Amino acid sequence: MKKLTWIGLLAAVTLVPAVAMAQSAKIRLFPDRVDIGAFFQGIEVNIQGEMPPGCEAVVEIQGAPAPEVLLRKGRRGGLWMTVGEIQVENAPNLYLVLSSTSDIPQLQGQETPWGFPALRSRLKFQGVPKDQEMDLFSKEFLELKKSEELYRSLPGALKVGNSPEGQISLTGACPLPAKIPPGNYQVKLSVLKDGRVLEQKKEKLEVKMVGFPALLASMAYNQGAFYGVVAVLIAIATGFIMGFLFKGKAEH
Amino acid sequence: MWNLYLPIAGNSINILLLFGLGGAVGFLSGLFGVGGGFLMTPLLIMAGIPSTVAAASDSNQIVAASTSGTFAHYRMGNVDFKMGFLLLLGGVVGGTLGVQLIKLLMALGNADFVIKITYVVMLGVVGFYMFLESLQSLRKKAVAVEARKTEPGRPSAYARAIQALPWQMQFDKSGVTFSAIVPLFLGILVGILAAIMGVGGGFIMVPVMVYMLRMPMHVVVGTSLFQILFTCINVTIMQSITNHTVDLVLALILLVGSTLGAQVGAKLSRRLKADQLKILLASIVLVVMVQILVGLILTPHLLLGYKGGH
Repeated sequence: MKKLTWIGLLAAVTLVPAVAMAQSAKIRLFPDRVDIGAFFQGIEVNIQGEMPPGCEAVVEIQGAPAPEVLLRKGRRGGLWMTVGEIQVENAPNLYLVLSSTSDIPQLQGQETPWGFPALRSRLKFQGVPKDQEMDLFSKEFLELKKSEELYRSLPGALKVGNSPEGQISLTGACPLPAKIPPGNYQVKLSVLKDGRVLEQKKEKLEVKMVGFPALLASMAYNQGAFYGVVAVLIAIATGFIMGFLFKGKAEH
Repeated sequence: MWNLYLPIAGNSINILLLFGLGGAVGFLSGLFGVGGGFLMTPLLIMAGIPSTVAAASDSNQIVAASTSGTFAHYRMGNVDFKMGFLLLLGGVVGGTLGVQLIKLLMALGNADFVIKITYVVMLGVVGFYMFLESLQSLRKKAVAVEARKTEPGRPSAYARAIQALPWQMQFDKSGVTFSAIVPLFLGILVGILAAIMGVGGGFIMVPVMVYMLRMPMHVVVGTSLFQILFTCINVTIMQSITNHTVDLVLALILLVGSTLGAQVGAKLSRRLKADQLKILLASIVLVVMVQILVGLILTPHLLLGYKGGH
């Protein structure tokens, strides 16, 4: 009996970490659908998740890659001006990366698939005259997107704490800029231990234009001529109304 | 709290900032008879609006500001409709020619260089000439009134040449007699330049009316606004159909500010002397020219940028 108790105790001691490790990581977003209404000015999405103890977490929020044509500046006759176009491929329309550590953690012995260096290595350019300029323009492209807050790296933005069931809780606030394009975004949690990916979880984030902005955008894209005439008529009417309002004072 | 989402620009912006921008540019529009596109579009881009949307929505708000300004000037008897129609007709022809010229330059790969140089040279020449001429004129009036008798009646080669042209017309409001060919030709010229530079052309048209058509400054302002109104109606509708870049919310806030500003500007233009108006406009044109020149000389912050705008 005593022997059996010892075996049971030993099994419990060795299995507990394994069970804890096997407990699945979780991620949820609040809200998981963002409405762009008339007064939208960006929003903070709250991230809540769980991971096993002793691990590190990376969360990426990214949109679908869309080809983008940009203007390249250069010097002509001593003056800076547009000297050509560059087509950028494999660039997501939004890329936010958050981590539970003070820097964005890297994998050991293999390429890290997240963070700005990985993003830069995936970019493809057409229209760059020299191969050695690829590096310069990938850096410039990232700087352009960072200046619009569409690409952001937020190390340490995920806070860790204890949660029931022996898991570690993750909480964080992710700022979505006012410029975020409507669409579907992928949210990916990667859990790391000792420089290796232990587990990955995916969630979806939907960003949708609603109400008056949606109505106006739909009209602008689907009924361009009507939209243009309405815009002109409103402008003329406002101009006349202002003219009438000032009539008494303007006459000599 | 004061932010509104602009659905076509795809960004949120402070209403008070837009209202203030609209008011300031509308004021200049009413004061000088310029559309103000050469000022407003760069300011909107700086405020975070994509350049294509900034330029197209600005055209829409200029429709309102120039309606308001034209109406105010019409009541004061400052719009020469006959001259305005001829310049407009020339402007449409010139604009079409200018667009073809840009296409040709783009195919040759020199478009941006030509656009930038045309911009700086035109702003520089117009600004300096108007500034010096108005300064001389102001000094003359202040110092020696007796010198006035030598002023009129010098038949220059230019005056003799245009008097010899057929289809002479009396422009009552402007108090000048010209061949219809002259405003038509000048309209074409300004139209070509405006198309190359991507602007309405008000700041080129105003000096052309003052110095080449010899129109009184107050009639120039009203007539220029009348012409700009039609140019911008055309641009707004064309942009809405082809590029979908007119943001009605953005234009609405700007135009409330600009129509108010245009009324105040029109009133003030009546109180200021023609030379004072010219010297003020020349100063603004020169400041914009210097700002563009500095942008061309200094290394840009980023070597990549979005398409569109000026």
